[in-house]
Amino acid sequence: MTFVLITGRTIVQGSYVERKSHPDYHVEASALHMNPVDMLEHDLEEGSTVLVSSDAGKVVLQARPSTLLQRGELFVCLGPYANHLVGPGTRGTGMPDFKTTAVTIEPTDDPVPGVAELMRRCGGVPYEG
Amino acid sequence: MSGLLIRNAYVIDPLAGIRGEIMDIAILDGKIAEGAGSGCEVIDAQGCLTLPGGIDSHSHVSGTKVNFGRYMSPEDMRAGRTSRRGVMHVTSGYSVPTTFGNSYRYSAMGYTTVLEGAMAPLEARHTHEEFTATPHQDMMANTLFDGNWSVMEAVRDKDLRRTAAVVAWTLAAVKGFAIKLTNPGGTEAWGWGEDLHSIHQQVPNFGVTPAEIIGTMIRANELLDLPHSVHLHCNNLGVPGNYQTTLETIDLAPDLNSRRQSLYLTHVQFHSYGGTTWRDICSKSEDIARAVNNRPQVAIDMGQIMFGRTTTMTADGPMEWRLYMLHHNKWSNHDVELETGSGIIPVYYSRKSLVNCVMWAIGLELALLVKDPWQCMLATDNPNGAPFVKYPEIIALLMSRKFRDKEGEKIDPRTGHYVPLFSLDRELDWYEIAVMTRAAQAKALGITRIGKGTLTPGSEADVAIYPLDPADLDPAIDFEQVMAGFARTRYTIKRGRVVARDGEVIVEGANSTVWTRANVPPDMDLSADREFVKKFEQYYTVRMRNYPVQDVYLPRGVRIDTEVSP
Amino acid sequence: MRVEDVVCTFCGCLCDDLVIETDGKKIVGVENGCTLANEKFMGDHRLKSPIRREGDRWSEVSLNDAIREAAEILLDADRPLLYGWSGTHGEAQSVGVHLAEILGGVIDNTSTVCHGPSIMAIQEVGHPGCTLGQVKNRADVVLYWGANPIEAHPRHLSRYTTYADGFFVKNSFRERKLVVVDVRETESAALADEFVRIEPGGDYAVLSALRAIVRGRGEVITGPVAGVSREQLVRVADLCMKAKFGAIFFGLGLTMSPGKNKNIRNAIELTEELNRHTKFTISPMRGHWNVYGSNEVFCWITGYPYAVDFARGIAFYNPGETTSVDILRREECDACLVVASDPGAHFPRACAEHLARIPTIQIDPHVNATTHLCRLQIPVAVTGIDAEGTAYRMDGVPIRTRKLFDGDHPSDTEILERIYAIVKEAKGA
Repeated sequence: MTFVLITGRTIVQGSYVERKSHPDYHVEASALHMNPVDMLEHDLEEGSTVLVSSDAGKVVLQARPSTLLQRGELFVCLGPYANHLVGPGTRGTGMPDFKTTAVTIEPTDDPVPGVAELMRRCGGVPYEG
Repeated sequence: MSGLLIRNAYVIDPLAGIRGEIMDIAILDGKIAEGAGSGCEVIDAQGCLTLPGGIDSHSHVSGTKVNFGRYMSPEDMRAGRTSRRGVMHVTSGYSVPTTFGNSYRYSAMGYTTVLEGAMAPLEARHTHEEFTATPHQDMMANTLFDGNWSVMEAVRDKDLRRTAAVVAWTLAAVKGFAIKLTNPGGTEAWGWGEDLHSIHQQVPNFGVTPAEIIGTMIRANELLDLPHSVHLHCNNLGVPGNYQTTLETIDLAPDLNSRRQSLYLTHVQFHSYGGTTWRDICSKSEDIARAVNNRPQVAIDMGQIMFGRTTTMTADGPMEWRLYMLHHNKWSNHDVELETGSGIIPVYYSRKSLVNCVMWAIGLELALLVKDPWQCMLATDNPNGAPFVKYPEIIALLMSRKFRDKEGEKIDPRTGHYVPLFSLDRELDWYEIAVMTRAAQAKALGITRIGKGTLTPGSEADVAIYPLDPADLDPAIDFEQVMAGFARTRYTIKRGRVVARDGEVIVEGANSTVWTRANVPPDMDLSADREFVKKFEQYYTVRMRNYPVQDVYLPRGVRIDTEVSP
Repeated sequence: MRVEDVVCTFCGCLCDDLVIETDGKKIVGVENGCTLANEKFMGDHRLKSPIRREGDRWSEVSLNDAIREAAEILLDADRPLLYGWSGTHGEAQSVGVHLAEILGGVIDNTSTVCHGPSIMAIQEVGHPGCTLGQVKNRADVVLYWGANPIEAHPRHLSRYTTYADGFFVKNSFRERKLVVVDVRETESAALADEFVRIEPGGDYAVLSALRAIVRGRGEVITGPVAGVSREQLVRVADLCMKAKFGAIFFGLGLTMSPGKNKNIRNAIELTEELNRHTKFTISPMRGHWNVYGSNEVFCWITGYPYAVDFARGIAFYNPGETTSVDILRREECDACLVVASDPGAHFPRACAEHLARIPTIQIDPHVNATTHLCRLQIPVAVTGIDAEGTAYRMDGVPIRTRKLFDGDHPSDTEILERIYAIVKEAKGA
């Protein structure tokens, strides 16, 4: 089943904008908001790890139920996790398709990577100082 | 000590009564002096018309709506661009150039002082930021009061002192120069999508009329003894038949000041229309000019339009909406809480449009029919009528009937039926042009007191040296040379320094911002007035303490202090 | 020490009524702030000293060495990209533009991934807007479209709309109708008198339907549009037309969804259409506290609000080509200076990969995702806390932010001016 991934702001994400190494930021930014019925159908519980894949990439996230979403919709707050799934094409506007990325999901036992680890995967070197 | 001697110049300095004499001008430490000192730099100005630096008394070059004109118009930005070169920054834009573009182009034309025509007090900080990035002209800002709630309430209460007090507090807070009224009352009505159609119609919810606002503000202006008079953009701009409104407005002006006019009416071309619709619009320049000729207490600027592309921008929001309903291209609007409005649309003035041809003729007619050039200044309401780079062409049209007739052949052939332009023989001379482009502005703005507009010793050493030899040229015939000469000075000198040479800017600028502080007695100090403070606490979205423009925004501020008349 | 009327440098609301208590070295109390403001002012998570990476090793460097190296990297680049700018004051933005100009580089701000499409739409059809006080004092109908103020601009409702009493609207909560249009039933939607839920990607169609109804052509709509019933469309259109003063605020739900700039164009044209019946305004909910300032500063210096390319000597602008995401996607830039933003977190992965590949320099007070991608980071003072300067609110109102105490770090302006001076000398300009 294909889901549509929507990204956007949350107040927790905003609160940690200057502390992206903080564990709470990691939890918020890697939360995969889903309609509870979809979760049930995919045998997911709150906190289950999920491998989410798009044409642009894949990343492991943690499921979180949300009644604000319709079935078939996923929400991840804007940030490095969501951006592992969003493609860089802009259709001549400069703006990627942040609100409508087609993704698939599957349960996984892999852990959710930290922000520094995500950046390492992009070719960076984590600064732990 | 930095001395500069300009030798053998052909000088016209109307404020000093010099109408064309070969003379030397000495400059020392940024001022015109008796002598320039030994070892000074020498400029040979033989055969060159030499005037005080040009002054534009009404131009839109800096601030919120000007910058929005840039923001919304990449097509205009592409239409005029230059690379970084020497000390000159990159510039973009034709009708709304970037700040450096404005500054360099004015400098190339010999202009050293510019008045920004409209600054919303709430957004004043923006205007001052752009002034700082307009380095080669001294700048000053007309401050908008047309829809100011505190002003309208004081006018309604027939409280002249309180009206003046609001003006004094605001000018000091926003470091403004003068009172500007743009469609008085109409901009508040536009907060509800309405407009006013007569100077005797009441502003919704405020119980005052434009006539009352204008009349009271003229008296408040004189009570505060401000350098400039009330600067008025009349109601009904651009409406066929609006000359009646303009005549009624001129009738409101008392004669209260012996040094200058008591009312300055801006871009009067847009306010001199007869007829009832766009189909029968005609010129009423003769009626308007007659009214001006009969009233020395009034001064105007032309508001000339020139054919081609430009951008219109004004605090007159409802007018821009009407214009948009005609043009249907793109429309921006920006109303400012408790104060004023604004709108922007791009336009193209076409030689094939009879209406545009009539407008073009009216501006020229005003300049030719107003007898005293001190009462009619040359301006286009830049960029509304045309970008200021068209001034040389306007000068040439005013100096040459032949040129006017030649242009007349290119426009809608019916034009002559609606305008008197082609029956006017008058050709302005060099002296009259000098008056209309600097001396009259200095007098009207009241800035002779800070040494503007003249070359007498002690004045600011702002000088424009043009490659034009009045002894050799007949402007009635040589209009092409006149245009080229006024477009590009040989030297533009600002505060004693050569800033532009043959059109190239050669130094980094360091302008001043001129502002006015009216010192008021304690009974007129509103800083702790309950009603006034309440406006900020309840209705503005900016705190009173964060409203005033800090000194840091005027790195070279020049303050004119005035005292309340007894 | 207690400082009143402090300006909050978090979001585009630029609230200027905070009361801050400091002990002269740090902030110990915040009043009137939202959650985001409290975190911003109370948080103290600064990077202490400039850091530099060689291979896989990070080490501290002196400020002088960091500035010199930053200038050298930029001078060595053929196509440098200078990105960010929305989280600093206008004076620093101005130096940044002149730096890009002298380098012949590209300068872009965060509009590129927030309201860039809105700017493109405004360049097509204009923008009927107003200052926020006009809405507070007059509006009897407010629409939030693809915007979630409760999470992104927490005090927008209380300062300017639903909970803000004004001169002509004495009891705002009762007299002002609130409409929220979104694909999700957000917390903001829960407050609405009318919540319009749209299927993802359906904004353009719904805007077109409303325009048709306002034009008197409602008969062309025969059934639901993108999940919105015909009855609701007619009800909303009617509410708008009967308003004395209506205000639309839109967010990234419109700029980032399919249609992008065309969605905004349609929303603006709906606003224009409504002005034939009553007074209506439309305003983007700008995100960063000074993203609008970066547009303003870029405009008066270069003529364009973002995505300005100086490679040809003149200022050149073409979104889709000179925008950061496109330049990074094409692996075109060979050095990047990031100032006051975090593209590592907020650009698609492919862009982050290119930032890691090239020498990237970051000027920012905090460790963020971009830190791990860069070669050099220079910490600076935080504007609004230990640095001051000009900011432009989301409606264009300029406000001067305040410095609350002297901190340990130089301001963005100071660092950028020093880099500029080295570059200028090297260029012989």
